[in-house]
Amino acid sequence: MPIVAIGLSHRTSPVEMRERFAFAEAKIPEALQTLRSRGVAEEAVILSTCNRVEIYAATDNTDRSIFEALQRFLVEARDYRGPLHEEIYKLSEPQSIEHLFKVACGLDSMVLGETEILGQLKKAYDLALRHKHTGGRLNKAFQRAFQVAKQIRTETNIQRGSVSVGSVAVELAEKIFTALQDRQVMVIGAGDTSEKTARALLSRGAQSILVSNRSYDRAGALARELGGRAVHFEEWAKEFERIDIVISSTAAPHYILDRARLEPLMKLRRNRPLLLIDIAVPRDIEPEVNFLENVYLYNIDDLQAIADDYLQQRREEIARCEAIIREKARALAGAEPPSHFTSGSRPVFGHE
Amino acid sequence: MVVYGLSATYSVFLWRKGFRQGDRVNYGLLLLAAIFHTTAMFQRGISFDRCPVNNLYEAIMFVLWTMVAVYLVVGLWPQLRFLGAFAAPLFLCVGVFALMPGLDNRYGAQPEFKHDWVSLHAALILLSYGAFGLSSIAALMYLTQEHDLKFHKMRAIFSLLPPIQRLELVIRRLMAAGFVLLTAGLVIGAVWLKLPEGVGYLEDPKVHWSILVWLLYLALLFMNWRFAQGGRRFAWGAVGCFLFVLLTFWGVNLMSPIHH
Repeated sequence: MPIVAIGLSHRTSPVEMRERFAFAEAKIPEALQTLRSRGVAEEAVILSTCNRVEIYAATDNTDRSIFEALQRFLVEARDYRGPLHEEIYKLSEPQSIEHLFKVACGLDSMVLGETEILGQLKKAYDLALRHKHTGGRLNKAFQRAFQVAKQIRTETNIQRGSVSVGSVAVELAEKIFTALQDRQVMVIGAGDTSEKTARALLSRGAQSILVSNRSYDRAGALARELGGRAVHFEEWAKEFERIDIVISSTAAPHYILDRARLEPLMKLRRNRPLLLIDIAVPRDIEPEVNFLENVYLYNIDDLQAIADDYLQQRREEIARCEAIIREKARALAGAEPPSHFTSGSRPVFGHE
Repeated sequence: MVVYGLSATYSVFLWRKGFRQGDRVNYGLLLLAAIFHTTAMFQRGISFDRCPVNNLYEAIMFVLWTMVAVYLVVGLWPQLRFLGAFAAPLFLCVGVFALMPGLDNRYGAQPEFKHDWVSLHAALILLSYGAFGLSSIAALMYLTQEHDLKFHKMRAIFSLLPPIQRLELVIRRLMAAGFVLLTAGLVIGAVWLKLPEGVGYLEDPKVHWSILVWLLYLALLFMNWRFAQGGRRFAWGAVGCFLFVLLTFWGVNLMSPIHH
């Protein structure tokens, strides 16, 4: 029984269209039941995330009419009345299995190599499994997809490193401090990137967040959002003794922290390591401070360069990942009797 | 020793690559070296019909063998295999040091360390050098990682090295452990050991040298504890002191009438 896949993703359709096709989690078991009771598929899994809506189905119907039936189901289930051109892709074996593996590995994700999709895929599969909408064929394919994702993660660098400024900052902090749990973070100047960076650090367990801004009200608002405390802008240096990580993004036209000011503050801190993240333009922190012992200064370009390097490295890994995926997909497809599909169902994505 | 040398040379390449993945080649080289080492120790033991830990050469080779065995066990975890790149140069240094002339003395029918206190004195001091050696390995890791972080090198993030704060803690703890062992060893030597007629402690160069080493480590630990002199300077101190021990131990030993 071959596996087919049909769906739309961020590569083929805009968000306005994807949200029209998205399934609420609670509605998925019912939709799967309909699919099977109408005889469209014997086994099915629906994956619905903000970047993709896909149906994986195992069916005895080896005619191309299966795709028409699946598309009709999709359109009717979501009551979509707009025009459809190239947005919906239809894949038969072995492309369908290769696509499933790529999705599991994050190769088809908006952020290349991200791991969130694997969790979402496991959840979608688990939902179908619990409601008994999967059988031997899909079970095997999904289990294999999870194994391939694990293999890709351990054998290649596709998932290594961070591709956003916030997560690069977290990685740096984790290479300096034994644990982020006891670290105190100070945000000077309340901006969008500094907020994201602070949130990334908080999500890894960083302790309290102090926010200092020229506008005390704005500092208070951000501090409340981050579960921290606001500090008057003139008084941020007083708090420095306990601080381990500083994220600075003020609009000040000059340095707010220079070597002469930091040197005595480091003595107060008994020379504990200090990570300074300067994401302001013009810069807030004098580059000279990086020459002080135990001070690690990164500006926005440094962080962006690391993120770009990661992305480049991930791109270079694509070929290796695809080779593994192709081999595993062929092995899985080869274990089943050959389908009558010609591989005519077009692989929609140019890169795949 | 040749294989230890190969592994140390290969480690230079690993350093240049950054420690992205545990390296099997280096692990294999050290495993091969350990097999040769074990065989040699067995043959020596069988030919003398006793455990081959009777003179300084054998004691050092035994300490080296223990360190390699610890690495091989730790290296079973792929995440920790990169440690070989730091350990191999140290293994080479210790091995070359053991081969220095004058250490592999002939011994009589009885082991030289016949007195329990002498054995304990020597064992504690050898163990303390082992701890100082490990602390200098941790310091090398610290210096590598600290340099990469300072100069925004990509491998700071890619490498498998632990965070520098943890490495500093490891350096400090190993050094403190070594210091306690050294102190205990020296106290035993000074208080319980009986010297041959006509030889005094105060004239012996090795005693002077040992007190100097003890003072050096005391100063490092005190500066770290009292004046928060941590980080790079502390790590350089750990590497420098151990290099001093490695480079001068042999010479001082030969000059000492008590220990030679």
